[in-house]
Amino acid sequence: MLLKVENLTKRFGGLVAVSDISFAIEKGEIIGIFGPNGSGKTTLLSLLAGLLPPTAGRVFWKGRDIAGERPNVIASLGVIKTFQNPQLFSELSVFEHVMIASFLAFTRMKDHSRLRSFLSPAKGETTLRLRAEKALTLCRLQDTATKPAAELSYGEEKMLGVAMAMMCEPELLLLDEPASGLGNDEIQNLENVLRDLRAHGTTLCIIDHKVAFLAKFADQAIALQQGCKIAAGHPYDVLADPGVVKAYLGRSHHA
Amino acid sequence: MLQVIVGQILNGIILGSLYGIIALGVTMTFGITGIVNFALGQFMMIGAYATWYFTDLAMLPFPVAVVLAVVFAAAAGLIADQALFRFTRNNLVNGLLVSIGLISVMESGALLLFTTTPKNMDVVISGSWSLGAITLPRMKVVAFLLLVAVIGLTWLGLSRAWLGRATRAYAQNPEAAMLMGVPTKLLQTGVVVYSCALAGFGGALYASLFSLEPSLGGLFILKGVEAAILAGVGNLLGALVGGAILGVTESVGSLYLPSAFRDAYGLVFLVAILLFRPAGLFGSQK
Amino acid sequence: MKTLLCLVPLYLLPLLVKSDVVLTILIFTFVLSILAVGFNIVFGGAGQLTMFHAAAFGIGSYVTFLSMLRFGISFWLGFLVAVAIVILISIVIGWICFKFRLKEFYFAVVTLAFAELCRLVALNWTSVTNGTLGMLVLEKPTVWLPGSGVVKIEQTGPWYFLTLVSLTGVLIFAVLLMRSWIGRNFSAIRLNEDLAQTLGIDTFRYKLLAFTISNVIAALAGALYGFYTGYIEPAYLAVTQSLDAIAMVLLGGVSTILGPVVGALVLTSLPHLIELPAEMRVAVYGMILILVILLMPRGIVGLFAGLLKGRVNAA
Repeated sequence: MLLKVENLTKRFGGLVAVSDISFAIEKGEIIGIFGPNGSGKTTLLSLLAGLLPPTAGRVFWKGRDIAGERPNVIASLGVIKTFQNPQLFSELSVFEHVMIASFLAFTRMKDHSRLRSFLSPAKGETTLRLRAEKALTLCRLQDTATKPAAELSYGEEKMLGVAMAMMCEPELLLLDEPASGLGNDEIQNLENVLRDLRAHGTTLCIIDHKVAFLAKFADQAIALQQGCKIAAGHPYDVLADPGVVKAYLGRSHHA
Repeated sequence: MLQVIVGQILNGIILGSLYGIIALGVTMTFGITGIVNFALGQFMMIGAYATWYFTDLAMLPFPVAVVLAVVFAAAAGLIADQALFRFTRNNLVNGLLVSIGLISVMESGALLLFTTTPKNMDVVISGSWSLGAITLPRMKVVAFLLLVAVIGLTWLGLSRAWLGRATRAYAQNPEAAMLMGVPTKLLQTGVVVYSCALAGFGGALYASLFSLEPSLGGLFILKGVEAAILAGVGNLLGALVGGAILGVTESVGSLYLPSAFRDAYGLVFLVAILLFRPAGLFGSQK
Repeated sequence: MKTLLCLVPLYLLPLLVKSDVVLTILIFTFVLSILAVGFNIVFGGAGQLTMFHAAAFGIGSYVTFLSMLRFGISFWLGFLVAVAIVILISIVIGWICFKFRLKEFYFAVVTLAFAELCRLVALNWTSVTNGTLGMLVLEKPTVWLPGSGVVKIEQTGPWYFLTLVSLTGVLIFAVLLMRSWIGRNFSAIRLNEDLAQTLGIDTFRYKLLAFTISNVIAALAGALYGFYTGYIEPAYLAVTQSLDAIAMVLLGGVSTILGPVVGALVLTSLPHLIELPAEMRVAVYGMILILVILLMPRGIVGLFAGLLKGRVNAA
């Protein structure tokens, strides 16, 4: 068991964003967390990544309680989160973006001394550059490597966010609404990339409100409503759950 | 001893009202146009020098001079907005730098016109009121009341009048306000002009109390920004309170500690507040 | 690093140009460039707008000189004392600011407040600093050169080379820094702090590092400046000095390595090129700043880089 969440709660003053949520993620699986807007999905992910301190509850990563740890510590342990709206430097190229994400990879390089890297970064650079190329290929962005980020389509921008995350060699990748704002072709591309990531060995935790997209390849699904877990299990079972249907009352499943 | 302290507190509050009116301008400008107009101190200086000119040289009655000075400052604000600030909306760094450029231009202009020789306006209202051992010059009290009145009226206008409510709506949610037909460009220009007018008014009253030097702008804008941050940028009535707190801290601090460090007390207090209440005393996290 | 080759002609300049005026302007340019480059590391690099660099500049002057005076040590040892103090102050202030997670604007204000506090100390601690009267610096830095032994830097020529070499050293350091993983982390922090954290970067540590490095470099500029002009006063720590450096960086081009140098050159030589009464000079300076912001946001170097379709940043 890679990640175990126990009674996680987050309160903002009087508002309870995440209420007493527990679940577990096994290595190699894809877990989809969905719910309507305001159900606490993004808050949950921020809690897991350390961007918000929890009000109560515990998060065990490989047996170690990481609840409330700083984001960079959690990242160095192998949990990386992407952002729903990637913020990019319009002047830098795609490749340069991925290189900016190379710090964790850099710290894991055994065969270098910091002083030597400072005085002549060239040697370590090659290793990192190869890594970056691999990350880009995994996200099917290898053809856009030299493009300035300003010229990317929205789907490509989101893929870049994923590529930057992959550069950190995560064991668990937390994806914040990767499909939002994407057209059908791009969603197909995203699905292919996610399958490749899983084949690569990365465990994925995806939140989204595009239910059909998640149901297709998630191993486990969790439904949230107003901060509470209302159903969990195999995706199609969760979708059929009456409480879930009610939460989505009036919404039709996207084909 | 108590009388001295109370006297200092009162002085601090009065001085604070001057800080407050600048702070009000700072806060309004920030809320609506997204920048801090560091040149507001210069508009205060314009108001001050204009008042001095109209009262002592043009021999106009004080109230008329004040009105003219405010109009002057507002007009200058309009020019500055259309020529400069219009292009730096919501860009804090650029707005900062443009203000600095503007400060250089305006302060040199004042130096050229008036030189560094301090100008003292003829006394408008003489005499003082006494309360026990505490003596307060009448002009100071009058100035204080006028400043509070203007700040209060501004607050009232923002909460009751349609334009005021539109302004606050825009400050909270620009997109929604736009969709509801609030004339945003006009609003932004209006706020800049109004805050310059406020600063000009503060300057006009300053002229009746203290001697004028071209460097007064720089001093007051710093205090104004401090007061605005102290209260929580975006909180309008808080601007007055922030100014008062700053003024009092400085005055009372000077009683017990070396007065040379007068400016420092406000700063230290400000830093302390920012660390423990990052949104200011009354602000809410934006 | 290749862009630093632009500096080579400057080393040869004294052979061709004998005018004291030109050399003096360049000396001031070099020293103020050091200040500007330092500021650019924390602002253009890590994205933190600080108003403390003038204070570090002034502290560099004062402490170096006072150490020489009180302890009878050489300029460079005195400077080391200044560095130690600046590092200490930077860590304290930076720790306070970053621990409390001050947002960009508030960070600028708090550093401004601290800078003003330092200036007030310099102004009022008259027993040590002579207050507003300032201090005359009669001592000079000494440098050991192979062949000549210990040389005192007094005339324009030696000062020219000392400041140029110092600038070159600072630039080389800046390039190495921005190309290393440290510079990359700065860029990540500038880009998006939350994102940087999720990529494993301890933003607190790196912001503190950027802030400290910037102040130490500013202290070097201050020490050189004070000893060159022969006079140290509290105005060195004033906000206007910080603003000057900011203007140089913006004019030359933020986030470029040579930008601050170009900006410093333009702003330092401007008063000499345009003969105007002192007040007008400041006004023209202000107008130039405004024009740059509105029309040339990427600065001079940025403009050229854009024209050449190359990228002169080191991210």
